[in-house]
Amino acid sequence: MKKRWLPRAVAGSVVLALGLTLAACGGGSSSSSGSGSFTVLVYGDASNKVEKQIVDTFNKTSKVKAKLQTIPGADYQTKLQTIINTKQAPDVFFNWGGGSIAPFVKAGLLLPLDDMIAKDPALKSDFLPSVFNGAVLDGKSYGIPMRGTQPVLLFNNKKVLADNGLTAPKTWDDLLNAVKVLKDKHITPIALGGGDQWPTLMWYEYMYDRMAGPSLFDKALGGDKTAWDSPDSHAALDKLKQLIDAGAFGTNFDSVKYTDGGSVALVAQGKAGFELMGSWYYSQQQQDNPDFAKTGLGYSTFPTVSDGKGDQSDIVGNTNNYYSVLKKTKYPDAIAQFLKLQYSDEFVKAQMAIGNLPTTTNTTNFLDTAADPAYSKFQYDLVKAAPSFQLSWDQAYPQSASNAMHTAVQQFFDGKLDADGFIKAMQALPTS
Amino acid sequence: MTTTDSPRVEKRRPVPRAGAGRPGRRSGASVARPGLAWAAPATLFFTLFAVVPLIMVAVLSFAEWDGVDALSFTGVDNWKTLFHDHVMLQSIWLTLLTTVLGVVVQTPLSILLGVWAAGKQRNRAVLSAIYFIPLLLSATAISILWRALLDPNFGVPSQARWLFGDGNLFGHQSTAIGVLIFVGAWQYTPFHTLIYQGATRAIPQVLYQAAAIDGAGRVRQFWSITLPQLRTTMVTSMILMVVGGMTVFDTVLILTQGGPGTDTTTTPYYSYVKGFKDFQFGYASAIALILVVVATIISLVIVKFSGYDKMRSSSEGL
Amino acid sequence: MKRRPNYLAGLGSLVWLVLIGLPLYVMLAATLQSRSDYSSNGPLSWPKHFTLSNYTQDFSNGFGHYFLNTVLVTAAVVAIVLLLIPPLSYAIVRSQGRTTTGVFRLFLLGLAIPSQAVIVPMFYLITKAGLYDNLIGVILPTAAFSLPVCALVLTGVMREINSELYEAMAMDGASPARTFFQLVVPLSKSGLSTIVVFSALQAWNGFLFPLVLTQNEPSKVITLGLFNFQTEHGIDVPGLLAAVVLSMLPIFIVYLFARRALVQGLMGVGGK
Repeated sequence: MKKRWLPRAVAGSVVLALGLTLAACGGGSSSSSGSGSFTVLVYGDASNKVEKQIVDTFNKTSKVKAKLQTIPGADYQTKLQTIINTKQAPDVFFNWGGGSIAPFVKAGLLLPLDDMIAKDPALKSDFLPSVFNGAVLDGKSYGIPMRGTQPVLLFNNKKVLADNGLTAPKTWDDLLNAVKVLKDKHITPIALGGGDQWPTLMWYEYMYDRMAGPSLFDKALGGDKTAWDSPDSHAALDKLKQLIDAGAFGTNFDSVKYTDGGSVALVAQGKAGFELMGSWYYSQQQQDNPDFAKTGLGYSTFPTVSDGKGDQSDIVGNTNNYYSVLKKTKYPDAIAQFLKLQYSDEFVKAQMAIGNLPTTTNTTNFLDTAADPAYSKFQYDLVKAAPSFQLSWDQAYPQSASNAMHTAVQQFFDGKLDADGFIKAMQALPTS
Repeated sequence: MTTTDSPRVEKRRPVPRAGAGRPGRRSGASVARPGLAWAAPATLFFTLFAVVPLIMVAVLSFAEWDGVDALSFTGVDNWKTLFHDHVMLQSIWLTLLTTVLGVVVQTPLSILLGVWAAGKQRNRAVLSAIYFIPLLLSATAISILWRALLDPNFGVPSQARWLFGDGNLFGHQSTAIGVLIFVGAWQYTPFHTLIYQGATRAIPQVLYQAAAIDGAGRVRQFWSITLPQLRTTMVTSMILMVVGGMTVFDTVLILTQGGPGTDTTTTPYYSYVKGFKDFQFGYASAIALILVVVATIISLVIVKFSGYDKMRSSSEGL
Repeated sequence: MKRRPNYLAGLGSLVWLVLIGLPLYVMLAATLQSRSDYSSNGPLSWPKHFTLSNYTQDFSNGFGHYFLNTVLVTAAVVAIVLLLIPPLSYAIVRSQGRTTTGVFRLFLLGLAIPSQAVIVPMFYLITKAGLYDNLIGVILPTAAFSLPVCALVLTGVMREINSELYEAMAMDGASPARTFFQLVVPLSKSGLSTIVVFSALQAWNGFLFPLVLTQNEPSKVITLGLFNFQTEHGIDVPGLLAAVVLSMLPIFIVYLFARRALVQGLMGVGGK
């Protein structure tokens, strides 16, 4: 066999490998923050352009530079927890407050921000108190709100609804009726990214709150396992079952994903009528289907349920996102300056432009500058009026519970678990 | 595996197999032999990056560690949990099932294709070139390709409702496993075809000529000559399939994420989920160790079947 | 020997051709049309308006950079394997005594260690060594886990070198090093090409180590780029599939020009 390529390949790869080692060493030393820079780690998605802009603004005036790193959404929490106690940990990182940072606080990794706030009270007073408190643990502040509040809304395709003589449903019965009408027209009534599992969870969060109010979940999270077996819990599951059995989600929702854009496209192309999703849905549609986002995308609150005990104007979702700071950082002062930008006019305007809703006290000044002022106003009024804003269950529970929770949520929807099976699975979750 | 009937070896010169009748050790004294230093770098490297981690897996399986708090030893807690964890027990069953189904689907396919491709006709060479393309794609790429192709609303199922119905392939256990088996076969059959093609070409033509004189037809020849001659290759190929099948990870992660529910959560994937999603690194290590034990048993079987060990001892006297 | 054509086998091979070819066709066709054309025409249609924009867009999304990283990882892994394995196999085949037998057994058992099984401690070791999110941290374990198969293959090939040749070298008073370079290496070329092909494919297509051990753009390899692309812009099927095509392009080029070497190399893994 002719093999003259072989010695050359060997020589070539040795040379390459040596070059690589040198290159990698060079790269390593420059990235290890030799002369004054700190890293900011953010959830990677369509909102990143604002974070980039804020970092650029900061770097224009600051001697200590900020460096933005992103991790694509699905892997964010995983990667964060794997690196947070290593040398490669960022200085500042994005999180959801509450349960998402509790283990890090417990391990003593996070910097309490109270000293910073004492020096600069606006770091606290410029945010809506209910939002700021989402990252207060054991009486200490561990996060400054960033991005915006993200209530879960029921989105719809306006044209599909109009063509079928429907309007955005106000009550549960309206929704059931819409499901029936759309199903008869061979349109999937409600798009659901069941393959991702967490979009399914949103239905439970709303249903439990409508039927029982926020106390049931709070009890369960506090360790009271009987909460899951209460009559209200059964009633909520009955309602969900009613919806599933009515064919609201079609038959193949477990093969559809939100994260790969599948469910998003179903709504945009008019193959489905509704989708329940966080307010970031707007910027997702804006990115994937700009024309539809502008003219065709409708939205409403989750419908009221007449026999429910909960306050019918409660909302669920992500209260807010936060920046937390690691204790080990060398540049707390520079970071304090960086965090101040999170309530600057520039930040608020930029967030508004991509459909996010910051929760700073100056937000109201800029509602008119939003990409879709009506959408921003709608959310702002909703959040302001809501007696309770339930944090997503998988963020409220410890990370170690989320996989089992998602599995149970999916299995009840596809009929593998009945109500009792679901309740047992929820009772088995670790709570602290 | 290294049989003397390989055509390449024959071209070089026939190699006496066993050391029988050779002067053996006595003459060896005059031959300069490589010292241990020749083996040391590879051994050290391998020890550091494979054996040490393996020992650490064993140690970690008796500990609790979430990557944030300090590691704490918890005795046999993980192991106790493990034997009552129905997802874990189901995962072993699923791993074995997918592995066996993989072998059952791929073996006949790759034998038939391999024997067919061994023919010298021009069209076969051209077609073989196409058949082998999946070999060039990574498991990641293949899984992504099929996930996109099998999307119920925007993929092939949307244009072939008569075959796929509502296209809910990832929503039922049976179809989800079916997808994993199919994609696995798509990915690996070409490789095994290649092995069988090589082995078939090495079968001496005289055997067929003799059979033809006896009036044996094509089918008879296949059963009485080709298949028996391929026996060692079959062992090798099946063992590769088994070891590969037991450790499938990329495909599950990208195609089904272990779902629906936990219906396709195989052992390697479950270990990954427990470690890097639930942050129970200790428990994940216990699961991983089970995987190693099963794989080791299979590897010992490899050693026995392939006769590597015997080869070693028979060449000892050289 | 004259044979009548085997229609049944021909038919079977055509069915398989469809199974292999159809997905490849869909992939290629999808990448050559715009996203809106693809979604309105469906996956089975041939593009009406050709465009390469999916490819150029992938490059501007960083695939060129991932490409380079993957090339570096692959070259380094192949280099490590070529530096370590031939001397090892030489020692196993030619040195006497229990230690090398033990070493060989170690590598045989190493076949049974799946990389998934050690990913947790590997992550621990690599972070402690400060190599997290560094290509070196991907190269080292990837190389280590291709060693057992390579050792096995090359040892098998080296065993077939006639021992009379060694004795002839010994008569000339050749040192082990000279014997190695003048006799063993030239006669093990088929085995060497096999381990090059095998370890290169392992490195090029490796996924788990990059997934767990790297994180940021500068150290991203192509398989991880594909994976992230799927979770970020999955519905951009043409763009996604263009990335898949790009990821296989270099190997495909090798396949076109050195098909024989590649195929023989892969056959070598199976023992032929």
